[in-house]
Amino acid sequence: MTTFANSLPLNMPLGRAMGAMVLALVAGFALLGPVLVPGDPFAQSLMKSLAGPDAGAPFGYDHLGRSLWHRLAHALRLSPAIALAAVATAGAAGLILGTLAAARGGWVERLLVILADALMALPGLLLVLIVLAIMPGTALGFWAGLSLVLWVEFFRLTRAATRATLTSPAVQASRLLGFRAAYVFRTHLWPEIAPLMLTAAAFGTATTIMGIAALGFVSVGMRAPTPELGLMMVELLPYWREAPMALLTPVLATFTLLLGLTLLAGGQKQ
Amino acid sequence: MTLLQATDISVSDGATRLLDPVSLRLEPGEPLIILGETGSGKSLLAQAIMGTLPDSLDAAGQVSIGTRHLRAGADRAAFRRLWGREIAVLPQEPWLSLDPLMRAGAQVADAHRLVRGLPRAEARQQASADLAAFGLGGAAMASYPHELSGGMAQRVAIAAARAGGAPIVIADEPTKGLDAARRDDVAALLLGELGQGGGLMVITHDLALARMIGGRLIVLREGAVVETGMTADVFANPKAAYTRDLIAADPEHWPARETAASVGQTVLRAQGLTLSRRGQVLIEGLDLTLQRGRILGVTGPSGCGKSSLGDALLGLLPPDAGQVIRAPELAPTACQKLYQDPVAAFARKRSLGQSLADVARLHRASAGQIETLLARLRLDPALLVRRPDAVSGGELQRLALLRAMLARPRFLFADEPTSRLDPITQRDVIMMLAGFAREEGLSIALVSHDAALIAKVADDMQQFAQPRPDTAGLRDSGKTMVA
Repeated sequence: MTTFANSLPLNMPLGRAMGAMVLALVAGFALLGPVLVPGDPFAQSLMKSLAGPDAGAPFGYDHLGRSLWHRLAHALRLSPAIALAAVATAGAAGLILGTLAAARGGWVERLLVILADALMALPGLLLVLIVLAIMPGTALGFWAGLSLVLWVEFFRLTRAATRATLTSPAVQASRLLGFRAAYVFRTHLWPEIAPLMLTAAAFGTATTIMGIAALGFVSVGMRAPTPELGLMMVELLPYWREAPMALLTPVLATFTLLLGLTLLAGGQKQ
Repeated sequence: MTLLQATDISVSDGATRLLDPVSLRLEPGEPLIILGETGSGKSLLAQAIMGTLPDSLDAAGQVSIGTRHLRAGADRAAFRRLWGREIAVLPQEPWLSLDPLMRAGAQVADAHRLVRGLPRAEARQQASADLAAFGLGGAAMASYPHELSGGMAQRVAIAAARAGGAPIVIADEPTKGLDAARRDDVAALLLGELGQGGGLMVITHDLALARMIGGRLIVLREGAVVETGMTADVFANPKAAYTRDLIAADPEHWPARETAASVGQTVLRAQGLTLSRRGQVLIEGLDLTLQRGRILGVTGPSGCGKSSLGDALLGLLPPDAGQVIRAPELAPTACQKLYQDPVAAFARKRSLGQSLADVARLHRASAGQIETLLARLRLDPALLVRRPDAVSGGELQRLALLRAMLARPRFLFADEPTSRLDPITQRDVIMMLAGFAREEGLSIALVSHDAALIAKVADDMQQFAQPRPDTAGLRDSGKTMVA
């Protein structure tokens, strides 16, 4: 793990630092919000339908009188958790297969490239929908479908970077000196791939969260009453005139989350 | 009549002075050479005189060309008007400065038409005459740059640069990346320019080129003039200590090496070796013996298969025919390599100390061995905390040698290890390399394009000729020369 820490930039560019800060704020709210103000995201109280904030619900109530504070905190745990799990799986798969393809070459590489290209030809969300139909459980389906879509990006990045690095004199010298593949990966490949992976992971997480929200918004993703960002938006959309703030809450939360991830991914090239 | 006079030209980057004031005159028929190593400020001086300095740098001083007086660093538009008409600049690596999509003849004709304003037909005729004068026939007129050899492309570029009829020619590193034979051609071409009473200014780090061109010489170092005088006088009797060192470091002046034991133990043997790259046969039926404690000098033009030979000897490139036989007692890591560009041969993001410690651990080197070798190679241990791109080329090449020695090699393939180093550093590195051959019984194959260097150092010689001159070969040699 020391190599990983070394490969991260010590003096982060401003954009990256701001992105990390925004994400820390969102994560802080999602994890600590329900601890600070205890409550239940599913408890209905029709008397308080679309009511404004009070002590038990600092963000007010939705059309069924459920606390938006708690629903939002719950939603901000669910989507990022699915996204991070999918990105981690896809990243690991892409890294392993990309390195394998570049190192082995030949038919292994050709086969993997054809597979990746074939997946690229399918619209991502369609693929997720197909997997959702097959897999039991919505969260599990999202994780599997999104992983299947996302690994291609990591695979392509890893393969390109690895191929260039493996032909460099530095790697040739290491091999001549008798170092094994594990050392070559640790000292030559990983430091080149890691920054690319970090950027791709941040973008991938953002795309995934957006995808989950989009499917929720068209009512084919998470099912009610699960608090989910897209689902919350579409549920509150009919009441935009009476309770504009209630609708804006999930919109702003999604925007903040995606902004943080995009800033983290962008940053400045060193 | 003085063609060009520059007075107190200085260049600075903000508050940092990059070039101290320099004055020079260019007389017709007398070439002027600006000699210096990388970073000496010689290119800055030339750019200030031509008015091509980047905007971020400030220049001061005055340039007089004919009757015009211009302020260096200002009057940008006025300088621009002189290009091609008064001053012709021969670009570095001319094969990169030709338009790859335009036939050679048309490029020269365009210069005649657009710079001198000749009508189209006349421009074409003139271009054809120019190329013929350079020994390039009608076939070259109709060729695209990628179909020309490096030397031919260089002539086309010179013809195009000279088309405007400028009396002053400035050549910036005209021999960069060329081998010795090609270098002599370039010197002859440049001297031919002087026949018309023009002025020639050559910027170079190449002592051999400077000696061939003759004329007057300005030696620059770290932005200051070290010595000026007639080239022949300076070479015969250098006054400044730096110039003396520089001239003594020229391989032609190296002391002859004591000869090695006549027959050593065989380390590697190649039998009937045939090698090819991208379908082109580079080496055919080569027999070679590498012996303990002896240095084999490998010379030949670019693209003739020197590096491929190394890869085959190191077991990295399977031969098409024949075989490489290693002495039975050789460990798998007993064959090591030194690279032309040492920066590319180290892990980019790892400190040099870490990289060396990894090798020492892998090969169970004794505790003080890195320190011993550092002292022997006259390297400062403080360098080890840095990354490969933060030390000089000469230091890094010595560190690469240190790294190879940690593996206790019996054979070392040194692929142009000093071609990017200045003469003084080159001598140090080569002498250290030779020391390892003598004292540790290391067998070395030393590749160089410098025949004088090989003649001084090598015990045995392997000379390669240009591979078969088909089009693929021409294209290939163009590429490798740039590298």
